[in-house]
Amino acid sequence: MAFKKDSFLGTMIFTVTLCLLCSFMITGTAELLKERKLVKKRDELKRNVLIAADVDIADKDFRAIFDKGVKPLLVTLETGDIATGSEVNVLDFDDKMAAINPETSVKLEKKQDKAKIKTRANQVRVFKVFGDNNQLEAVVMPIYGKGLWSMVYGYVALQPDFNTIENVVFYEHGETPGIGDFLNDSEWTDKWHGKQLFNEKGKVSFKVVKGGAKAGDVHGVDAVSGATMTGRGVQRAVQFWFGADGFETFLSKLKASEAK
Amino acid sequence: MSTQTASTRDILTSPIFSNNPVAMQVLGVCSALAVSNSMQTALVMTLAVTFVLVFSNLIISTIRSLIPNSVRIIAQMTVIASLVIIVDMVLQDVAYELSRQLSVFVGLIITNCIIMGRAEAFAMKNPPHLAVVDAVGNAMGYGVILLGVAFVRELLGSGTLFGHEILKTVENGGWYLANEMFKLPPSAFFLIGLMIWSINVIQRKRG
Repeated sequence: MAFKKDSFLGTMIFTVTLCLLCSFMITGTAELLKERKLVKKRDELKRNVLIAADVDIADKDFRAIFDKGVKPLLVTLETGDIATGSEVNVLDFDDKMAAINPETSVKLEKKQDKAKIKTRANQVRVFKVFGDNNQLEAVVMPIYGKGLWSMVYGYVALQPDFNTIENVVFYEHGETPGIGDFLNDSEWTDKWHGKQLFNEKGKVSFKVVKGGAKAGDVHGVDAVSGATMTGRGVQRAVQFWFGADGFETFLSKLKASEAK
Repeated sequence: MSTQTASTRDILTSPIFSNNPVAMQVLGVCSALAVSNSMQTALVMTLAVTFVLVFSNLIISTIRSLIPNSVRIIAQMTVIASLVIIVDMVLQDVAYELSRQLSVFVGLIITNCIIMGRAEAFAMKNPPHLAVVDAVGNAMGYGVILLGVAFVRELLGSGTLFGHEILKTVENGGWYLANEMFKLPPSAFFLIGLMIWSINVIQRKRG
């Protein structure tokens, strides 16, 4: 039987075959690029963590610095314990997936959900950064929360007193270009250096202050005019992630174990 | 259409000037306005369009006798869209920063009328080798306009070419006061208009 292209059957066969071939073409390309994408994702992570910890990586091999001085950990937030076992691949842990998968996350009540993230992963990645003499220099912790338009993702690095901020980096956001993107401006993130997260009572007191933080304010960082909501989102993200539903348990356990 | 009698050479060269897809048929102007503010983005865009155009013409021309008449436009779109997705994925892998600058315009190659137009008007009626020649010619025509506009816009708008400083701007302590208008899409309208005018004048002189 000759192939009648304009018959109903011919049209169907042609369409299905074409769609299959095209989808093979696309998945084939995606598969080829997968390995490279994974490497890039890891590099991005390594670079961000090192920038957050204020390690100088300019003109240096950041991969080697990371592999030598950074210990990635998977922390269970509820208990504050560190997950162990050889099957845990911390570097390729997909935190975004973990945060939305109902099996690996908890739904947050409206009252708890200061950062407006709806669900929070049970486990998150934390990075311990060590100096040349193997002493702990910083702990890098991921935070994220809703700004004005988008989720703002970042890392906050704490000094070994687990209170003073070493540095901060925001690596992904979709805030208004030219207004909300001060998040990437090092002039602004530098202001975080030396600020303290908690007050004497141990409560999170970090603030983004409208009109500018007063000189000597150890908890406040200047807000940027015109970007009130972005600043507020960042403040709430910090308050959530270092509060009772975030790293509180982990930090107190860490503090106890480091004191020994 | 007299394409049956047209020589291969004509098929290749006529879309570059005398029948330029952007200037003469005024197709694909949207992307030409949007990505022509620097030479680098214009070059990458030209390469992306060349790749999609060549392969879409090749594939469609090869299977042209199998394509049912009633679904031919959809079939062309499917081939073009798949190719554009591949270009987008490769670009994100090879040059992530550039792909962010080009943002949606790589994806919008799907709707670029030059590609659809060549598939429907040429590849459906001609054998694969001629279709590829036609695709290369049209891609070059698109590239000539895009790079020409980008040359003027980047030089006058930022005083640079491919990011290298040519005219030292006042901001950097030089003498050249950059014309901000050339950084904005409307300037490409004027430039393309001037190009259409000059191509018309030249052609009329030739008779």
